[in-house]
Formats: sequence, structure tokens, C-alpha cells
Amino acid sequence: MAYLTQPDYVKYVCSCGQLKPITSLYFCRHCLKIRCGFCICHEVDSHHCANCLENMPSSEARLKKNRCSSCFDCPSCFHTLSTRATMAAQRQAQDPAGGDAKVENKQTKKMYYLSCFNCRWTSRDVGIPDQSVASGGWPERTNPFLSRYNQLLDYYKAIAQQEKQEKLERERKKFAIRGKYITLTDKTGLTGAMARNIAGLPTSESGSSAAIASFTPSQASAEVDELPDDVYTKDVNLKQITSMSQRLASPEWQPSSVSRLHPLAKLLSIKRSQRCRVCDHNLTKPEYNPGSIKFKIELLAYYHVPEVKIISYETVKPGEKSALLLKLTNPTGHEMQIQLMQPEDLPPVEEREEPKSIEKSLEKSLNLEKDTSSYRAIERVAELGSSSRVTAPEATLTLAQRDDAAEYDDDAQQDTSDFILWRKSNKLALRLEVTTDAAATPGAPARAALALQYSYRNTVPPAPAAPQQAHHTLYTTLLLDLGVVSG
Amino acid sequence: MELQDTYYNKSEYVETASGNKVSRQTVLCGSQNIVLHGKVIVQSDAIIRGDLANVKTGRFCIISKGSVIRPPFKKFSKGVAFFPLQMGDHVFVGENTVVNAAVVGSYVYIGKNVVIGRRCVLKDCCMIEDNSVLAAETVVPSFARFSGSPARLVTNLPEAMPDLMTEFTKSYYQHFLPTTVN
Repeated sequence: MAYLTQPDYVKYVCSCGQLKPITSLYFCRHCLKIRCGFCICHEVDSHHCANCLENMPSSEARLKKNRCSSCFDCPSCFHTLSTRATMAAQRQAQDPAGGDAKVENKQTKKMYYLSCFNCRWTSRDVGIPDQSVASGGWPERTNPFLSRYNQLLDYYKAIAQQEKQEKLERERKKFAIRGKYITLTDKTGLTGAMARNIAGLPTSESGSSAAIASFTPSQASAEVDELPDDVYTKDVNLKQITSMSQRLASPEWQPSSVSRLHPLAKLLSIKRSQRCRVCDHNLTKPEYNPGSIKFKIELLAYYHVPEVKIISYETVKPGEKSALLLKLTNPTGHEMQIQLMQPEDLPPVEEREEPKSIEKSLEKSLNLEKDTSSYRAIERVAELGSSSRVTAPEATLTLAQRDDAAEYDDDAQQDTSDFILWRKSNKLALRLEVTTDAAATPGAPARAALALQYSYRNTVPPAPAAPQQAHHTLYTTLLLDLGVVSG
Repeated sequence: MELQDTYYNKSEYVETASGNKVSRQTVLCGSQNIVLHGKVIVQSDAIIRGDLANVKTGRFCIISKGSVIRPPFKKFSKGVAFFPLQMGDHVFVGENTVVNAAVVGSYVYIGKNVVIGRRCVLKDCCMIEDNSVLAAETVVPSFARFSGSPARLVTNLPEAMPDLMTEFTKSYYQHFLPTTVN
């Protein structure tokens, strides 16, 4: 939690070279690498309204322009509108001739209107009639340019179709088998056209070209409506004019006057799953239920990589040594061996071996080749730019597995070795020394880079074809923020 | 950074059998309607209005100094009615904050000097930043971080939020120590 309320004091190096706090990093169990939001694939799992928690299938969401059908935002302050009920008296004059008091039959009926509890805007302000049902039934406005929109849409769809067709044609010509006979697999050639002819369908080209031919492009005209005569003399009532953000919230109408503001249908939220771009395995997958906060798959670095926290540090001075207290936590369910190292002593990241060359060539032939340019973006080395060095003790530290019952145990135990301050189940406090460059300029941010070697036990059930080893030695680099170098 | 120890005067706080630590300098109205589910810290000058309606908190909640927990009301045609206020586990309420919400889920962080308007619903795993004002009847979705006045969504929270909040409230409880009498 301290991660959210404080600046990020400890940053880990992602395999793509980004520096991120451990909470925004993921750990792919299949590649055994740290990933971040920058180097993974984000996918939309489901759409739902954050206000009413109603799930909406993605096809319906697209149809409704990713907006909820029953919840509205205030067009004035963008807060969610609430439905309020009033008792409205419906007057039904039965006999207009009679002057009797009984003639007017008063019926009270519950009527609903939308109201904003933040800025007090109501749907009555802009003359939207009250509704007799609590939810839904609000008048939907149609876009004034709807027909032109559809025309353009049809036109561009036709163009896309035509281009696709042309591309296919070219491909076909390239790979045309120079045989004697026309084969049945010759789909788009003669047999295809014949089949269409027999079925009485229009040929594929004619359909699209009709839309293109009948299309009239927009034309710029120099004739613009004259400005009203009083445009320079009339006092501007700023209360009646909408702000830029209010106009842009409804791009189809862009109301310039407050009286034309209409309730905005609430935008849908999504549930998102994340996928490793290298091995295509899921890193996170939320539960389907919109209200649920649980995940079916949750491969976060916070659960797999040893967590380093700064307990306290002495002010860093150029050319001097200062003390640093770190806390190491083992979040996994297995015992972990940790060794502190210098970042330059890390073994170089081995080149991506390609054992699946057969599969690769198959993919290539099937035109399924993955975009490998992303790999290049993924494997990058971070520039740490640290002015301080942490003296790493040679000894290997053993951290016990995470044990939720351990919090009821007694107090911290003292350790025999001199640099371990205390041990508490899966946690350990270290007393380290930071040496700063004599050349470090006072006032500059003091950073110290540190590398960790840790043992990791892979709990992925091994595939029968390729038995994996369960024990791995992994490395991670992190950057500690030690305030500023003092003079 | 690791949490620092906060010390309190032992004679000021009452510790119950379930581990609740409640300051004597608080205003607990209608205490029969207040349920603290264990290991809850209520710090000095906090006000809990149990006289209006039931107030229930989960485990490991922290109600900081000067904050007000007040069940929300709703206007009806025949007067007003107060609704019970429910709070989940591992909720942090910052200093000088007023909470008028109907429901506060679990793993919720509310900063200091915040006003949570009437009948707001704070879902599980959300965060309201310091000095925000949440307008009445706002629904704060899960994994949302709200800020400003009126508070709006600014960013999303990491997936590990439940564990981060659990760790935070537990370590806050562990670091909330009585001053040793010399």
C-alpha cells in the first residue's frame, strides 16, 4: 500500500528495460521473465457498466457505441446522474363546461427525472419531459449527420473490399498454377464467377463499385452564413455558453448553449486480461463477474519475485560510506536462496534460442508468422545511471516460504551473522553499506543499483513432451532511491 | 519504504478482547449500534455516529484522527431515513475525513481531508486520494483511483491491491505500539 501513497523508492528493471515498481510488474512463469504493462498484450475480456454493473456482450457494446443504456452522466459536470421521483398531478378536464370543483379529476402519478447531485443540473433544465418509468425510456437523439455518416461508411467499406479483392487477385496471379485445367480450388477465378452466376448473385466487383460510383464527395463552399448583426455588440452571457469539455463530451452535437445539453450515456468499463507477447500465455485473467475483484490467473511479480523495501538510509555524501537497511520478502510458497550482486556481474542475457525452427518455418509457410519486431523492443537493457554502489555480502541468504500463520508467532529472531538485522518467517532485514562516488554532484538524486540472484521453483505442471526443470536461478536488477546527494 | 512505528499513550486507548484499539478521546454515539469486527484502530477525536443507524466495520480497519463516520440519510416524501453504513475488511480512513457512504467495500484506501458524499458506494479495492470530495451517490468501481473535487477516476490500481491493503493495515496494526513506560 505504501506503494500507492509514496513515491517509488525501489524500482525493478523489466526485461524491456523499463524501470517500474514491483506492483506494476508481471512475471511470466513460462518465460521466467519480468514483464510490464509496456511489453505485454492487453485484451478486452468483457464490457460492463461501472455504475450498474451490468454485463454487455461485446457485439452489443459495439452497437451501442460502448455506452450503457440505463446510466447517464451529467453533461455539465460529468458526474453520474441519479433518478429522482416526483408526484405529478395529472389534470384531466372531463367536462369543460361545468364549473364544478369535482370536474377536475386529480390523479397523482410517479414521474421520474434525472438529476445531478453535484452541480444540481436536472433533465428538466433542458426541457426533457419526465418519464413514467424509473429506468430507460429516455429520448434518444439521432445524429443530424447520420445519413452522411452511413454514406461515408458504406463508401469506405466498399473501397476496403475492393482493395482486398485486388490484393487477392494479385496473390492469385503470382501463385497461379500454369496447368492445362482449371481446378476447382480456383475459387476467385472462372469457377467462382460461374457459381455466382448460377446462384443469381451479382458479381463481387459490381456490388462494391456501385457504392463507389454513387458516392458524392464533400465539397467545400465559400458561402458561409452571415454573422448576426449584434455579434459584436451583444453582451455575452458566459453562464449560457458551454465549456470546451462539455462540448467535446458529445461530439455529434457539440452544443454551444447550456440549454442544449443532454444527458450523456455512461461509457462502459472493461475487464482486461493480459498476455505475454513472447509466449502467448495469460499473465492476468479476471473473473467474469463485473463486481468480482478476483483473478483466475494472476502472475504478478509481487507474488513471484523477492520484494525489496527500504527500511531506512543515511544521507548519501560524495566519496563516503553510508548505512542502508533493506527488508527482503519471499512471496513464494517455496524456500528461496538469495544472493546480492553487482548489476555488472550479472550473466549476460542469452540470445533467444530458437529450438522450434520447424514450427517457425511452418508458421511462415502458413503466413502465420508472428510479428517478431516486438521481441526486439522487449529485450532491452536499462540504463541505471547510479552514482552509488551497495556492498553486497558474499553469503547466500535463505528465506523461508511464505506462511500466513506465521504472523501469530513470537517476535523477530536475532541472527548470528553481522549484516542480518532480524529474521521473521519469510522476511529478513539487512544492514548494508553504500559507497558513493567522490565525483557525485551534491543535489543530484542518489541512486544505487543492486542485483539479486534468487532461486525460483517453477510450479507449472510440465508438458509431457518437454519436461521442464523445476528449479531455476533467476536474476533481477533494481534501483534504490536514496534521496539526494548531500553536500 | 517500510512503515515507521507510531506510538500511543497506553492509558488513552482501550483494547478489547478481539484486538480493537479505541481511543478514549473519541465520540462514539449509540455505541450499541457500532460493531468493530476485531483489530480495528479508532484514533483520537474520531466520531462514529451509531445513534443514526448501525455502523459495521470489518477486520483491520483504521479510522484515523478527527475522521467522522456517519451513516447516510435519504429524503423521502415523509421525512428522512438513515441507512446503515457497512465497511469491509482492511479499510483505511485518513485524518479529518468525513465518510457518509452507504457501503465501503474491502481493501479501500481513503486519504486525509476527504469528504465522501451521501450514499456513495465504494466497491472493493479502490482508492480516494487526499483532499478529494466525492459527490453524493457516486459509485467508485473496483481498482479505480479517484481524485479531485468532484472526485473523478484518475488512474487504475495494480491487480495486487488486496494484498497491498492487507499488508498495509496489518503492518499498521503491528506498528501501532503503546509507549513504553520508563
